[in-house]
Amino acid sequence: MALDLQMPVLVVDDYKTMIRIIRNLLKQLGFEDIDDAADGTEALEKMKQRKYGLVISDWNMEPMTGYELLKQVRADADLSKTPFIMVTAESKTENVIAAKKAGVSNYIVKPFNAQTLKGKIEAVFDS
Amino acid sequence: MTQITKDSVARVITFLEENKNRGGDVSLTDVMHLAEVMSGSMHDFLSNVQPAVTEELKAIAREITSMKEEISNLRANDMTASRIPDAGRELDAIVEATEDATNTIMEAAEEIMGADPDDHAAYQELVSGKMIEIFEACTFQDITGQRISKVVSTLNFIDERVSNFVERLRIPEELEAEIEETAEDVRKREQILHGPQHAGEGVSQNDVDDLMNDQSDIDKLFD
Repeated sequence: MALDLQMPVLVVDDYKTMIRIIRNLLKQLGFEDIDDAADGTEALEKMKQRKYGLVISDWNMEPMTGYELLKQVRADADLSKTPFIMVTAESKTENVIAAKKAGVSNYIVKPFNAQTLKGKIEAVFDS
Repeated sequence: MTQITKDSVARVITFLEENKNRGGDVSLTDVMHLAEVMSGSMHDFLSNVQPAVTEELKAIAREITSMKEEISNLRANDMTASRIPDAGRELDAIVEATEDATNTIMEAAEEIMGADPDDHAAYQELVSGKMIEIFEACTFQDITGQRISKVVSTLNFIDERVSNFVERLRIPEELEAEIEETAEDVRKREQILHGPQHAGEGVSQNDVDDLMNDQSDIDKLFD
């Protein structure tokens, strides 16, 4: 799968400032079509209405966590192939293994820098 | 321990035997007589037992007084009415101050990012002005540091008094009530919610750096 800067990207986080940070970093990387959602439930609704080329999601949100969103996305035939990067402060090995088993495309630990985000996005589309 | 004497018991038995064939023919005088015999039989017993019972009751009273003193030392009213709400307000203020500072800094950065760098003079003036705004916004750190110190002080106050109270109660660990898993606990377990992790106990730049270093460990899992 090739990296297309025109593809719509969905950023999911319950912290508006973090959405703003990721949105600005993605703009710096050349992405133009960036949408956002405040939790897994809202993200899932948006994903069913629009085909996103990439989802970047936090883990710890209410009511639906990013982990639950990931599992539901992978269980949905229409959405299951969507690249999904977890960006989270949950840095226990247990979390990473659980996300990997659930089919996460890549995993970034907060706090992160622009280079890490760029590298992980490129890695997802290079693989 | 003092016991009821055989003589006392014998007096009651004799009375009962003398009156066992009277059927329902019992007068108030008979009842009073029985009460008299029985109280007489108990007299010696009670007069011996009373000092021991009194001592026990005094010991219980002393324990209750001591416990009341311990509860008073807890200053529970001060905690619930003042210190804990104050700590909550300090934390709210910290969240608000960090949010305001973050927004100010991000707005400044976004304005710089969106400015036209071809107009050198205007661009330089804008960047200088925004840099000053960023420095000003960073002053929140000093105030939040002081607020955090107040919250830590409150937590120490509570910790010290509750620890003393538990120690004075002398409650064995095995007698402590089992903690029931709440719905929130179940959610945290099922959704694997641990929150941010720290290498040490305090929040420091090293902790942040350690989290950043964790990134390489995570990368290995994907190799």
